[in-house]
Amino acid sequence: MVTPARATVRVDRLRALNVPRPVTVQTSAQDLPLAVAEAVDQSTHHEASAPPTAQRVDTVLESWRIDDEWWREPITRRYVEVVLEGGTHLVLFEDLITGAWFAQTP
Amino acid sequence: MGVRIGMTVSQAIGLCPTLVLTEPDPVHYDAVFSRLLLDLERVSPVIEAAELGRVFVGVQGLERLYGGRERQLALIARATGNAERVARAGVAEAPPAANRAWPRTVRLGCARGKFLAWVAASRAKPGAPRTIDDADRAAFLAQQPVAVLPVSPDMQRRLVQLGLRTLADVARIPEPALVSQFGREGRDAWQLAHDRIVEPVIGRERPQPIMVGVDFPLPSADGLLLAHALRKLVERALGHPRRTGWRVLGMRARALLEHGASWMTEVTLKDPSADAARITAPLVTRLENTPPGGAVERLVVEFVDFVPGTASLQLFARDATSTARADQRNALHTAVREIKQRFKRSRLFHIVEVQPWSRLPERRYALIDFEP
Repeated sequence: MVTPARATVRVDRLRALNVPRPVTVQTSAQDLPLAVAEAVDQSTHHEASAPPTAQRVDTVLESWRIDDEWWREPITRRYVEVVLEGGTHLVLFEDLITGAWFAQTP
Repeated sequence: MGVRIGMTVSQAIGLCPTLVLTEPDPVHYDAVFSRLLLDLERVSPVIEAAELGRVFVGVQGLERLYGGRERQLALIARATGNAERVARAGVAEAPPAANRAWPRTVRLGCARGKFLAWVAASRAKPGAPRTIDDADRAAFLAQQPVAVLPVSPDMQRRLVQLGLRTLADVARIPEPALVSQFGREGRDAWQLAHDRIVEPVIGRERPQPIMVGVDFPLPSADGLLLAHALRKLVERALGHPRRTGWRVLGMRARALLEHGASWMTEVTLKDPSADAARITAPLVTRLENTPPGGAVERLVVEFVDFVPGTASLQLFARDATSTARADQRNALHTAVREIKQRFKRSRLFHIVEVQPWSRLPERRYALIDFEP
């Protein structure tokens, strides 16, 4: 972690880290992730290009729920930390308002 | 005396009051390492600098040039001994070949694949290369401590806490168990313990010479104008894509003069550099001391010899904080200048805390341009 020395932080120059990436998730009957694939962006996706490959979830480590900012735009998420086939750790969350899934690094 | 690597200075002085402290000299280390790479390149064209002080040499196909493995190792040892003597003497010139002997501090290991070669080197005694034949690989690996695994210190600590002392212990654990504990690092460790990762040495080709020039519409003999033109040409040459990752060691400045005459000067830098001011200074000095004998019609700067950009290696090396702390800031500033010159904007960022307490991960940290 490097903190800026003497520099004034201008909000317009900030770029958020670990922004959620939309993903497609197959779930089990218990609503736990079974496989994950990058979501297809329809605006940039070409007919000819191959669809993203789904990666199997090897282990579900833990899950938790966040309810926040109820006073302005409510955020309700169900997080699941998983290990994918091949060993990659990943944090998935389901936006319980829209039903969409997203991925973040742990 | 009990003084060990990793102790603080006060601890060391507590144990040994007569201790003599020597300041780190990262510029000197860098110069010696560059010299070592150059010497090794005379033995094999496939040289991979892993970090300051650790080099892999590809020996595949050298039999027909030099003979068997022992002869190849002797030549490599000679090249490393050359750099060692430079390091000890602090001079740029090596003693004559007749005086060359096996190096006293360099450790050499020989095996198929980089990991095993490195482990063999770390187990070798100075002056006695350690060669691991294919038949002995498994037995040699099994008895190595987990400390040889190129994994994070945290994983090393946890492996020891789990009672895993050697690679044989690691190999006995099922792969999925290590993967679920340590993720990708766990899988790599398991595969290394089973000798399933055999990485070849990947050498980097030296770039072709980089040449930039300028034509003067009106031939000029004005020293100030020519010096200014040299500076601009050096900046242009440094911005060339081929130069990325390399520092300049040797260069030429040439001029075509009126009436068909010419002028040329050649400079070899004592400390290879990618800094425009450092490269330009000796050229301008030569221009002032031995100016062209007439008005210049065309001026050319040519970078002809390069060494790998070890400043970045040094910056990110594992032991950088202890050995090169004094030079890190300078190296970072130089890197930022180079990147800006190359890409027209900084590609380095600070990580700043925004809402580190937030339960939403994307709100905790952000990137901001790094401008020292």
